[in-house]
Amino acid sequence: MSYTDEEISRAARQLRREWESPELWPRIQAALAAEAARIERRRAPSRVSAWLTLAAAAAALVFGITVVLRGRAPQAGAPPAEAERRLLTDRALREVERTEGDYVRSIEALSRVAEPKVEEAGSPLMMSYREKLLLLDSAIAECRAGIDRNRFNARLRRELLSLYQEKQHTLQQVMKEDPDAL
Amino acid sequence: MWYGGEDATSDWTAPGNPLLRLDFFEEASLPGQDEVVFFEELYRSHGARMKSVAYNILGNPSDAEDAVQEAFLRAYRGIAAFKGTAQGSTWMYRILVNACHDMGRQRRRRRDETELVPEDQLPASTAHAATDAPLRMTLEKAVAALRPRHRDVFLLFEVEGFLHREIAEILDIAEGTSKSLLFEARRELQSTLGDVRGRQA
Repeated sequence: MSYTDEEISRAARQLRREWESPELWPRIQAALAAEAARIERRRAPSRVSAWLTLAAAAAALVFGITVVLRGRAPQAGAPPAEAERRLLTDRALREVERTEGDYVRSIEALSRVAEPKVEEAGSPLMMSYREKLLLLDSAIAECRAGIDRNRFNARLRRELLSLYQEKQHTLQQVMKEDPDAL
Repeated sequence: MWYGGEDATSDWTAPGNPLLRLDFFEEASLPGQDEVVFFEELYRSHGARMKSVAYNILGNPSDAEDAVQEAFLRAYRGIAAFKGTAQGSTWMYRILVNACHDMGRQRRRRRDETELVPEDQLPASTAHAATDAPLRMTLEKAVAALRPRHRDVFLLFEVEGFLHREIAEILDIAEGTSKSLLFEARRELQSTLGDVRGRQA
């Protein structure tokens, strides 16, 4: 003779267990805190390496532009166009553009990290940072349009570099600020 | 009214318990505001039931508590995935069931006769009718011997009182599959328990 479904259901309800474990939540809480600290530690080196990459890219860009500017300085006795052709080769320019590209990508990466902080914060200081970044982006776009018209325009490249440096500095300031404390 | 907390003596599967509703999580404070508060709230609401689910899969209270802790850790790591989902409670139980299975595999613990925790050391059953104690013990062994999917569905439906719709989400199966697995589990248990009763007679 077998058991009915009802008998099995009734017996099954007795399998439900309940016991006190006052130490379990503190244990979970500690495990969560340890996990949060572990994640934070894992993030920290990547931030440092992002800063190092950015610094290296900036240094390389400054070096590249210096080379270009030196190359553009007309030499005594030589016609300017001739000096330019001789010293500012396409190869040198490509090198500058490549370095500049690396630098811009690093700043964009930093931008992505800082962006949520700027967007979410409602403090006057953060709002002024946001406006400043918008102005810088607009100036950068203008500068880029000029460079697109004349790739050899060293003055515009120097200006672009200074705008990017300003943007980098502003983003660094944003990252240092605590939006809730403002 | 407090349901399912550490000091709860009430039956958390009682009809009307708001914590049994799937939309409870949507009403609770969401992660992102304060994750620790969110998880604490989650633990207070579901901790007791989670321990019971884990106990019935793993077979002893110590492993069950480890599994609950592991489930919270996994939920914390995957909290971004929760933010976009609508069914938070079933998401948590799904993590728990998977954690139990992983732990079960890792520890190679089987609830056979030699490894069962002695009856007097078991956590108290929430049902007070002890008259069916022999049947309960036999059923416990028979359930442990079921295939994992059948056992999970049986435990979640018959023991913990989840609906097929919820079980389908927890186990990531179709609702119809949940019903069919429950039917097969019952038939298997009837057969096993019938044999035992026959021998006793």
